[in-house]
Amino acid sequence: MNERIALLLLLGCVVAPVSQAQIKRIELRVEGMT
Amino acid sequence: MKQHLGRQSGVQNVDVSLIDGKVQITPKEDGTIDPAQLLKATFDSGVTATEMDITAQGKVVKDSSGNLALQVEPNRSFALVTNELSKSLDSLEDTQTIVTVRGELYKKPPGKKQKIDTSIPLRLLILEVQKEVQKKD
Repeated sequence: MNERIALLLLLGCVVAPVSQAQIKRIELRVEGMT
Repeated sequence: MKQHLGRQSGVQNVDVSLIDGKVQITPKEDGTIDPAQLLKATFDSGVTATEMDITAQGKVVKDSSGNLALQVEPNRSFALVTNELSKSLDSLEDTQTIVTVRGELYKKPPGKKQKIDTSIPLRLLILEVQKEVQKKD
């Protein structure tokens, strides 16, 4: 049981720092578009 | 092409400007969007992508090759092309700081139309550092 809690805490530490990370916008420049 | 891109994973909205030759893609917040896949989908729709710019927020990390990278999803990061702006982010490596940047992820090499090789990892050339936020735990 304690191992599971420790594992969850560890996963939380790994995931939390990048939880705000994301691609906000992508802009493509193209040629040949009709 | 709009429909083709709109069907790609993680895409919320696609705006096409025929006059400017620009396509604005708004990602969903589920983090499943894959810029390399979008480039391939663009090519598959019969259009040549000449440039791809992204605005992204993430953490500055070092990748497995020892290069600085921007981690934009738990399982996705883009190696940074070294320039003055990327050097300015050096001190943020492996900190909790979330940085928002605008950068160039792809530029078509000069020459004839050529198929995009999705096996080559895209590298991010930072054009602007918009915001740095120190995340508190």
